[in-house]
Amino acid sequence: MKLINKFTLWYLCIALTCTVFSTVITFYSIKSKMDNAAIDRLLTINQIAAEKIRSGIEWDSSVLGRKVLVQELTNPLPAKKTTISKSESSYPGSQKKEYRIAVSSFTSINNKNYNITSFGYVIQSEHLLSGIEGTIIWKWILILSLIAISARLVSRIILSPFKETLKAIDLFNIRNKEKIQLPHTNTREFKELNCFVKSMTDKAVDEYISLKEFTENASHELQTPVAVMKMKLELLAESAITDEQALIITEVQESLEKLSRINSSLALLTRLENHEYATHEPLRFCKLINETLDFYRELMEMKSISLTKNVATDVNVSLNPMLGQLLLNNLLSNAIRHNTREGKIRVELTHEALIIQNTGAEPNVSTTELFRRFKKGNQSDKSIGIGLAIVKQICEIHHFDIDYTFQKGMHILRVGFKEINANSRLSSTAPQTEPGFPEISAPSLSL
Amino acid sequence: MKVLIIEDSREMASSLRDFLLRENYICEIASDYKEAEEKLFRFQYDCILLDIMLPGGNGLKLLKQIKSEQQQANVLVISAKNGLEDKVTGLEEGADDYITKPFYLPELHARIRAIYRRKNLNGSNLVQFNEISLNTNTLGVTVNGRNMEVTRKEFDLLLYFIVNKDRVLSRQSIAAHLWGDYTDDLANFDFVYQHVKNLRKKIGAARGIDYIGTVYGIGYKFNTSAT
Repeated sequence: MKLINKFTLWYLCIALTCTVFSTVITFYSIKSKMDNAAIDRLLTINQIAAEKIRSGIEWDSSVLGRKVLVQELTNPLPAKKTTISKSESSYPGSQKKEYRIAVSSFTSINNKNYNITSFGYVIQSEHLLSGIEGTIIWKWILILSLIAISARLVSRIILSPFKETLKAIDLFNIRNKEKIQLPHTNTREFKELNCFVKSMTDKAVDEYISLKEFTENASHELQTPVAVMKMKLELLAESAITDEQALIITEVQESLEKLSRINSSLALLTRLENHEYATHEPLRFCKLINETLDFYRELMEMKSISLTKNVATDVNVSLNPMLGQLLLNNLLSNAIRHNTREGKIRVELTHEALIIQNTGAEPNVSTTELFRRFKKGNQSDKSIGIGLAIVKQICEIHHFDIDYTFQKGMHILRVGFKEINANSRLSSTAPQTEPGFPEISAPSLSL
Repeated sequence: MKVLIIEDSREMASSLRDFLLRENYICEIASDYKEAEEKLFRFQYDCILLDIMLPGGNGLKLLKQIKSEQQQANVLVISAKNGLEDKVTGLEEGADDYITKPFYLPELHARIRAIYRRKNLNGSNLVQFNEISLNTNTLGVTVNGRNMEVTRKEFDLLLYFIVNKDRVLSRQSIAAHLWGDYTDDLANFDFVYQHVKNLRKKIGAARGIDYIGTVYGIGYKFNTSAT
């Protein structure tokens, strides 16, 4: 429910309660005012009649056009000098019941006791009520229509800073490293909200920047010491050393190699995340794949892995060439490294997707987990577990979909992309490949 | 060959010098921008190893000076940044090659020799060692004057061995030389063994001397003293 509707409902409830009470109060106060006015008037009439009796002047028993009943009393005067009686009776000459007020004054004039009574008609309560009813209906029509209009207009104005804040939060991306800009508002609640959002995001941005700088600097600064260590080891290896020392040197070299690889991969990831490779250009993906496959052929041969490829021709993708190469290298080397001896690799390129499948042991963590840094399907293997994180980042930069599944002993990695050929299919959502192999019609190569 | 090493890390510079001295190169070190500027102004060098991250100035600026004052010098840019921009700018500004830290010393040496061959046209494209001769233009190899069929990888490997003769070449360094960045994933170096084995077999078949020896635990060595 919209905030404005909630407020409106509450307001309407309050207004309704007030209307009920105020109607009752209005009704009774108007009625008593009118009755009192009529009674006052009748009392005055009675007094004038009494004056007339006292003066002894002959009169026609009517005062100011109103009939006055004068009755001589034999009894002594009652304690109460005035009695008022209200009744409903029909107006002379009319069938309609009217509200009638009669005022009797008991007075003694020239040692005689008199009961002087006059009466008048006032508006009946029902008539009064129906009058009030009309007002109420008009009042509510006015209230409801004004609320309906203002709920739309006023809420738009009052809530606009809030909506702008929401929009700013929505557009906020920590990776842009830009502080959030929030609209100015004089509403206290929105001010508090903006203040809170601003301090939170500013802090996050600062932390993010310092983290990025740390990663970047750390990896740059580490390269020189690593390089020095590697060189010193090489120089050491050339001196007269025992076999045992040679093995130690090699082991240290390997660890250094790994350190430097982790380092440069992290630096690369940071730069990918910073969108430093923004340049995309049309790339003949099919050509690149064929070249890369040729390159890896030797490695596959060594592991007796058989390759089946089905690469469509004329596949152009908007991609940074260096990243495209990196993507393929990571995917293919993964497919080889995590393969079994005499395993299989299937590479398929269509106009919508690249699918690389390979045999291999079942990963012992979920496949989506493997996109995270340093997550490995098998912790004991020698890789550093950052390749897929890089692949994912490259895909994110180019707005490709990436999907990793394990089915029937096969690791299936699918990269869905948008081809840039104007006259070709533009859909990026190619149908999911069937587990197991569909037949291949294109030229296939077995190694 | 006279080499100037412009590098701010002293350990790094001294390692480079120690390595290159064994090739009988004359090496000098400049460890900051000013020193480099001065040395470039006063002396002539055949080869300049230039680290572009220098205290006191950007190494890319030095490139301009080198190009105006030391036309004959070969410039090899060394960078800790694996940045494409640096590489592209460096090469555009007239550097002859680019290498990223950390690298293998024999690799650096191979690069220096390659630039040297390319730039000094009076020197031929032939790399000769005893009975083995390599033509870096045609990628042809002759042993005892007879052609020996080699693959591209084998050619590169043999050249790498001869340029770095009498040096211990680790399997990683050979892999990095032959495969470049791809070695990232090559956890085992069986394929290095395979290539070396094939090369030795071919040289043996051509009645060449088996110069290539195994260094236990580390890799291989091209022994010039082998008979």
